[in-house]
Amino acid sequence: MNVKYEELSPLGTYEEGMPWNPVEKIIVERRSIRSFKKEPLPDSMIRRILEAGRFAPSAGNSQPWRFIVVKSREILAEMEKDAIRVIKFFMFFLDYTTGNRVRRIIARFYAAVLIRILPNELHPVPFGLMSQIAQGKTPVFHAAPILILLVEDRRGVSNPPMDIGICGQNMVLAAHSLGAGACWIGLIKVLMYLPKWRKKFGIKYPYKLDVCLAMGWQKPKADGPVPREAQVVEWYDKGLNDPPRTTKQGE
Amino acid sequence: MATAHYSTFDRLRLPAYDNQKQMQTGDLLFDREKCKECGVCVQLCPGGCLLADTATKMDLISGKAKGGKYGVPHVVTMRSGATLCIACYDCGAACPHGAISIKRNFNPGYHFKRLTQTSEMRYPKRY
Ligand SMILES: Cc1cc2nc3c(=O)[nH]c(=O)nc-3n(C[C@H](O)[C@H](O)[C@H](O)COP(=O)(O)O)c2cc1C
Ligand code: SF4
Ligand code: SF4
Repeated sequence: MNVKYEELSPLGTYEEGMPWNPVEKIIVERRSIRSFKKEPLPDSMIRRILEAGRFAPSAGNSQPWRFIVVKSREILAEMEKDAIRVIKFFMFFLDYTTGNRVRRIIARFYAAVLIRILPNELHPVPFGLMSQIAQGKTPVFHAAPILILLVEDRRGVSNPPMDIGICGQNMVLAAHSLGAGACWIGLIKVLMYLPKWRKKFGIKYPYKLDVCLAMGWQKPKADGPVPREAQVVEWYDKGLNDPPRTTKQGE
Repeated sequence: MATAHYSTFDRLRLPAYDNQKQMQTGDLLFDREKCKECGVCVQLCPGGCLLADTATKMDLISGKAKGGKYGVPHVVTMRSGATLCIACYDCGAACPHGAISIKRNFNPGYHFKRLTQTSEMRYPKRY
């Protein structure tokens, strides 16, 4: 339901049960936006959003990122086409949920092996998504007028993918706070199987490209709160040998 | 411990992604009184797993489906009873008429099963 919290608390204060402040409101009402107006955001606005990325925390302040903004309609269209092509290729061998029986039995065998090798990439959610993309039922980049590629510098301190996530989410929240919308796209990974795109974007050591942000004006406006699974949280707030107390977050 | 148990058996076994008995996939309720059949939810579902009587996600994106009423949408169900719905509720957040609610959340089985998330869906709470 479109529950909206209209009154807002001032920043920098807390009282139990008070309305969201503007930062919290953006956090809870942000949704992944997958439908955009054709015209991109103005360049100045994109640069303002990039600024939220530049000021993200990173381990040892190593800032292990490189930003690439893609606005060219031709390039965006070509990326979409090629991503679909790669996904179709993989799904031809792996998708045991569609097609005739013989195909399904063979694909099931390949899938059982490959899912164990790539359990994250082939988790049921991206697997289902790629199945639908291969069948032409949903797009990869959602016809976004802007992609911001978050290129990781693998020489960063400690765990650079973590810094990429923090940096990207800073930009996502900034974009939503300015009235725009964004969606993380992990599926851009599939383009890295094609030398053409690695070359185009200069993705070779020390760089790695695993994720990008689709961005633009929301059409229709799709931000709003959603219900999520209440979650078990453990609290260690007694003695050294006492078991944790648990609460259900959200209840 | 209040978290779900994860055994070695769970860890080693992959669920069949199209089997509702091994994978709890999401499902929604559409309020027929409230729904204005506008198709917004069908267009926005990330996986294209909603269908209206007269429009698919791709019809709506490409502009092939023009104006009018598309019928009350439903979640597409595979032969096995599984859906592709991940209960993200992006459809419901955008529905202009508050016509959608979650009937069943998403929880993939065995290797991927959720351990600290319960099956109760709760809105953001202002503690
Ligand atoms: C690292 C990452 C990668 C993602 N990749 C995709 C993607 O390839 N395609 C897509 O449609 N959504 C993608 N998403 C968006 C998630 O599906 C979305 O965040 C999730 O369903 C929760 O919905 P919400 O963002 O609206 O709260 C990605 C999100 C993250 C954090
Ligand atoms: S967005 Fe809401 S009103 Fe529109 S078709 Fe979907 S359920 Fe019905
Ligand atoms: S909850 Fe998410 S996955 Fe399920 S139908 Fe709605 S938009 Fe699609």
